[in-house]
Amino acid sequence: MTPPELRDLLADALALWAVPGRLRIAEGGVALEGMALRVYAADAADRPVRWWLERPGQRRPCTSVLGLLRALRNAVGAGEGEARRLRVALAGAPDNISLPGA
Amino acid sequence: MIPVSVITGFLGAGKTTLLRQVLRDPRWADSAVIVNEYGEVPLDHDLIAASEDAFVSVSTGCLCCVVRSDLIETLLDLARRRAAGEVQPYARVLIETSGLADPAPILHALMTDERVAATHSLASVVTLADAVHGTSTLARHPEAQRQAMLADRILLTKSDLATDTAALQAALQALNPAAPQRAATHGAVEPEWLFTQGRLPDFLEASARHSAGVASIAITREAPIPALALTLWMQGLAEHAGARLLRLKGLVALAEAPEKPVVVHAIQHMVHPLEWLDGWPTADHRSRLVLIGEGIPRHLPARLLAAIEEEVLDSQPPDRG
Repeated sequence: MTPPELRDLLADALALWAVPGRLRIAEGGVALEGMALRVYAADAADRPVRWWLERPGQRRPCTSVLGLLRALRNAVGAGEGEARRLRVALAGAPDNISLPGA
Repeated sequence: MIPVSVITGFLGAGKTTLLRQVLRDPRWADSAVIVNEYGEVPLDHDLIAASEDAFVSVSTGCLCCVVRSDLIETLLDLARRRAAGEVQPYARVLIETSGLADPAPILHALMTDERVAATHSLASVVTLADAVHGTSTLARHPEAQRQAMLADRILLTKSDLATDTAALQAALQALNPAAPQRAATHGAVEPEWLFTQGRLPDFLEASARHSAGVASIAITREAPIPALALTLWMQGLAEHAGARLLRLKGLVALAEAPEKPVVVHAIQHMVHPLEWLDGWPTADHRSRLVLIGEGIPRHLPARLLAAIEEEVLDSQPPDRG
């Protein structure tokens, strides 16, 4: 993911969490103005770490973009919000599935 | 499995009229009906006047608020009586919700209760919209919007009384482009169209629409998607969009078996078990996903999917062949 793509994704996430903030590309990553937060991709040598979430005096590793979003959400104080865990329904398939045109 | 269809629609949309018409059809008379009335006097029971012993009325309040106790127990009790031969062996269950009900908790209950899931399957969600008052109802009542957004099929009722349904159809289309619409007069409509479509892709031509905080978002992908990426993406949406994600439908080419498309169907964070088709229904083999949600940035789902997919592909070991 390029820095502009990362910026756009994080901007969408902030909007989803109703967190005001302005993101800008900075130092190879993305900075959230006003909160002293910066996100940037980890070097290949750091694997399994893929992302770093950096704030003054602290740098948090994230092994996936989902982990990054979770960490960012906590960092900006959006909390759990309406968070739900994906659940698979128990119900089986209906007997009467039909294909269009079948 | 006994298929269960849920019939929703705002107050006065004509749900009872529809049920009465459906039950008059000899091919559909073997339906058990559960009616949720919001009031002390179960008028709808008398209005429907079903001839089947299996008819059941629930009138203890709004079904979505007491769903786990009343609806589940009613379904199970009905199934017990069916098994014991105390009622005729009905072929399906039709649930009429109250006009004020949010269908989501009802659908969750049907999909997650182990006892119900052992014998029943959710077949379809049908939403009725009054062609005369529907536009103003949608504008004024969030309940009506959610009913439309969660529908598999939308039936326009009282269309013979309306001079122009274009605005209503456009509003419904904006709320739920994945749900086909059809007009009915006095409940006259083919029950097969309403209740037997299963969960397959009527939504393939759906495109992104937006209205007043509600968005339907369409994603089309040329390349097959790794199963892990699809799963993580749905988890990410559930985690971050929460209850604002109302529906997700898709026909997806998985990288592991692109010749057998998988049907994805979720109601909020509840996902039906994936279903694989033997082949593609048309010559179009692209993955197509449609989300309906409230306040979800329109590009977020596609951007998130791309980011996850990139990580998943990057994590796969190199092909040693």
